Amino acid sequence: MTRAVLTAYFVLVASFLLLPLFFLVPISLTDSQFLEFPPKSLSLRWYREFFVDQSWVDATLASLKIGVGATILSLLFGTLASVALVRADFRAKGLLTAIFIAPLIIPSVVIALALYIVFLRWQLVNNIYALTLVHALIALPYVVMIVSGSLRRYDMTIERAARVLGAGPTRAFLYTTLPYLMPAMFASAILAFFASFDELIITLFISGGLQTLPVRIWNDLSLKLDPTVPAVAVMLTLLSIVGMTVGEIVRRRNERRYQSNSVSEA
Amino acid sequence: MKLRWTKTTLLLAPATVLAALLFVYPVFGVLKLSVHDGTAFTTDALRQVYNSQLSIIVLQRTFVTAATVTGICLVMGYPMAYFMAGLSPRKRVLATYLILLPFWISILVRTYTWIILLGREGILNKALAALGLTAEPVQLLYTPMAVHIGMVQILLPIVILTCLTSILDVERDLVKAARSLGASPRQAFWKVVFPLSVSGAATGGIICFILCLGFYVTPTLLGGRTSTLIANLIDLQVHKTLKWDLAAVMASTLLAATFSCLLAYWALTRKRSEFATGGLAR
Repeated sequence: MTRAVLTAYFVLVASFLLLPLFFLVPISLTDSQFLEFPPKSLSLRWYREFFVDQSWVDATLASLKIGVGATILSLLFGTLASVALVRADFRAKGLLTAIFIAPLIIPSVVIALALYIVFLRWQLVNNIYALTLVHALIALPYVVMIVSGSLRRYDMTIERAARVLGAGPTRAFLYTTLPYLMPAMFASAILAFFASFDELIITLFISGGLQTLPVRIWNDLSLKLDPTVPAVAVMLTLLSIVGMTVGEIVRRRNERRYQSNSVSEA
Repeated sequence: MKLRWTKTTLLLAPATVLAALLFVYPVFGVLKLSVHDGTAFTTDALRQVYNSQLSIIVLQRTFVTAATVTGICLVMGYPMAYFMAGLSPRKRVLATYLILLPFWISILVRTYTWIILLGREGILNKALAALGLTAEPVQLLYTPMAVHIGMVQILLPIVILTCLTSILDVERDLVKAARSLGASPRQAFWKVVFPLSVSGAATGGIICFILCLGFYVTPTLLGGRTSTLIANLIDLQVHKTLKWDLAAVMASTLLAATFSCLLAYWALTRKRSEFATGGLAR
């Protein structure tokens, strides 16, 4: 009895959470000038509109460039830092970890204001490279958390074995630990990319005239409500669902592989 | 295998420089700006903000909204997590995936959907009219209620997942022991599972509360003039009235609030780990 009530409750709340998906897709497929649900006739008109409109294409390209740059930088910086955070002993360890993770917890608007003030002084507003670095900072917490978490679970005997067999420290790391870290790095790269790809508030403050995709959507929302935004939203959503699902599958598969390894050894 | 300090420094250098230049230094700049006008220390900005009725109202509203949303999320989320904890591992993975799915959709997109749903000509109003329940459109969008709905929708997955972890952490044997000693399922829940998982749920609540404090997109898009939150006010001070010192005071207040919540979080998690090793879990 209570189980049935709980099941019904779960379905209800889950549909509340998934509500956006139910409505966005049909609305984006409308043939009309306006947002309508249900659409009277279906077409891909607004999807076409997106690819024809140069400002949408430019914004998407800017977001992709910044996202890829931020992902590479945060992955590199974050993985290097994780190795030190997990394997070295030093006094400022707790503090440094806190600082690396803080951008995830500190309200974006505080960081936005802080960066806006210094960027005006440094003349970095409307600079795509500076923006990429800022996005790398926003993405860094994900990399540090996931990679150092994975590294902490790593069985060091494998790397030690490589050392015993004559590999230098760097070579031993590259050939034993790095392959183990790959899936965690892959998963964090995906999170890092979307952290950058979705970032709005900080970008809004420091991007000047430069438009990323979220900024473009934001500007559109305050002007008019035509169905280009739902079409973009559907594409964005598909992209993130595919990306996150792939990341999750890779992470799980790897976890299982290393778990079964240690079980069979024991 | 311990690393030597030169290597450690090299490994940490890039991330540290990035965080120092683009995070620590600017944030300290904001803290300084709130009490320093460029030449000397001053409490002018502080006084202006805390004597202004508008900023006090907005600050209060931000905290009340954050508390309300957190409360709603906990009340809605805990039973969800309890249900998921009772599923088979396979089904639980699927359920978790379902809960996480909206979490991956851009906040902008999720908020936007509520505009379509709750607007004057929106789906809900049309449905209500079609059912003959309302004669004319009800004002749903641009109300505090719309902001609350939007925020709960965004934050609920986080709360559900933290509650789920804390329920799963409760030793199954304790429930079995309670049951075999004659407790009804209801008693076993209220006397064993709930007390042991409530502090874990509370940590989820704290995270939710912190995230609420900085909300910007949802109140801007879904709220009217009476649902402005502190993040919107900061934006206003920067871009419209150009009073950076006032914006800095508000940002510092937000930082202080975040920091106090984090302290509570640490205290709670520390107590929890002591609790777990204090003989109860073993």
